[in-house]
Amino acid sequence: MKSTSGLRADVQALSAIFWKGLKHHLRYPGEFAIYLSLPFLFTFLILGMGNAVGGSNAASFFAARTGTTNIVIYEILGSAVWMVSWVVIEDVGTAIRDEQIKGTLEQNFLAPVRRFTLLVGLSLTDVVITSVIFLIVVGVAVAVVLPSSFLTIIPAFLMLLIGLIPLFGIGFLFAGFVVRFKEPYIFTQIVNLIFATLTGTYYPVAFLPYWVQLISDALPQTYVIADMRRIMLANQTLVNLYGSLFVLLSLALAYPIIGYAVFRRVERKAGVTGEFSKY
Amino acid sequence: MNSPNTSYTARLFREFKASFVKDLRSYFRYPAWVVGEFISTPLWFFFFALGVTLFAPVASTANVRGLGTGITYFFFGFLFIVLFSTSVWGVGQSVRNEQESGTLEQFFLAPANRATLILGRWARIFLTDSIIIAYTTFLLYLLGGTAISVLDPTLFLLALGLYEISLIGFGLFMAGLTIRIKSYNSVGNMIFFGFMILTGALFPVTSLPTPVRYFSMLIPFTYLNDIMRHAALGTQMILPETLEYPVAVVAAVAMMIFGFVAFNRIEQDARVKGSIATS
Repeated sequence: MKSTSGLRADVQALSAIFWKGLKHHLRYPGEFAIYLSLPFLFTFLILGMGNAVGGSNAASFFAARTGTTNIVIYEILGSAVWMVSWVVIEDVGTAIRDEQIKGTLEQNFLAPVRRFTLLVGLSLTDVVITSVIFLIVVGVAVAVVLPSSFLTIIPAFLMLLIGLIPLFGIGFLFAGFVVRFKEPYIFTQIVNLIFATLTGTYYPVAFLPYWVQLISDALPQTYVIADMRRIMLANQTLVNLYGSLFVLLSLALAYPIIGYAVFRRVERKAGVTGEFSKY
Repeated sequence: MNSPNTSYTARLFREFKASFVKDLRSYFRYPAWVVGEFISTPLWFFFFALGVTLFAPVASTANVRGLGTGITYFFFGFLFIVLFSTSVWGVGQSVRNEQESGTLEQFFLAPANRATLILGRWARIFLTDSIIIAYTTFLLYLLGGTAISVLDPTLFLLALGLYEISLIGFGLFMAGLTIRIKSYNSVGNMIFFGFMILTGALFPVTSLPTPVRYFSMLIPFTYLNDIMRHAALGTQMILPETLEYPVAVVAAVAMMIFGFVAFNRIEQDARVKGSIATS
């Protein structure tokens, strides 16, 4: 018989939530194909538009502003991290609302599982999904365009794994807002676009106005994208990047705590006001 | 109520008006979506536009290779995207929305022309799209001081009219497709992004590889994008002017007729097979 308390119970619950999430993703392979194709598509669009605007000197204009002529890797890294962030926000952020719409939220909350375990379980599925997306997208791009630096994908991937922790924290925060305000899909779209604009997905953050850069500095993807570019395009190592690694680790501590605290607060309030059963 | 004396045109106009008002009411019933659309659409523009400016000549705001500045060139690409999305996500999805709301049978049983009802939705989207485009243009001026101007407004408006005629035709075809294909989102995404590349919305079709360019030349939107951009920025046209104008007119009308015929055929087929209400 399965235990209902203690570490073993938590692991069992995590495993169940993880597999459930994975099955859900496997049931919709079309969505996964879109997550894989969008980074290439957006990179291709930017390249096409850039070449139209810059002509034969487009690469040198690009290099003058970014310090690299390897446009594909520069843009694909931004695209891949954006797609990862997109999946996390969409999955973790809207998962509670989805359960609410399907009418299964009450069963989930009545199960002898801690809320934190529930949210972490959802995140674990996304660790696997986003890792696969990142490794396929960046792996293919690096293998074709920059094969000599293929192994730099390992430290870049480590950077992503660290960056995922604060991102999940933002997902928890978002889950709370969605329970409170409903309308998850429009929130998701806006948040994903704001993240794409502020984190330097296709351009250096230094391009943004100074006050906007202050907001960018509070977002983990900013550090992940910039550091990945340094690792793959400027031969930097994780040791060289200790400063931003430290900031990223601090965000990895802060966001999950803040996110979970906000989620719990909204959840408690929703329990009192009956917000959970409202559509 | 319609009397037997009511002229056919007056009846069609009344149906169109009713459909337009209904769609406008549905649109404003979800204010979060309205606000979201007004935030996210300009964000898409600024996000991509900033990426493209990396490729523009350094310290230059002058006309780049006859294409306008990076921002103005991209602005018209953004305009085409907003307009084209009307076909795929607006008109095309109207039938799917009714299907999901469980009102498709009422919609099809109403003593009204189906195409007129769909045109009502197109009119609502055209109105809101125009407001969003005007608002983004104003924002662009406020934030970057870039004033968008059109060299030949008459030609631009004529091409826009033809563009809308094509959009209605293509939208009707897409609406028919939603009756046939249930996984509309994935197909819609593929068609949307494919057209963005193939029709030269974001970069000239001359940048495409030669075999792909042949496909581009078969799509009416390619000529309409080209004429509108030529009218706005004075860019070089893909065909000689005397040839491209008649080609564009014929292609736009052909697209309209094709859309009506395809929609009616698919609808009749679905009635026979009983697949109208299957979701």
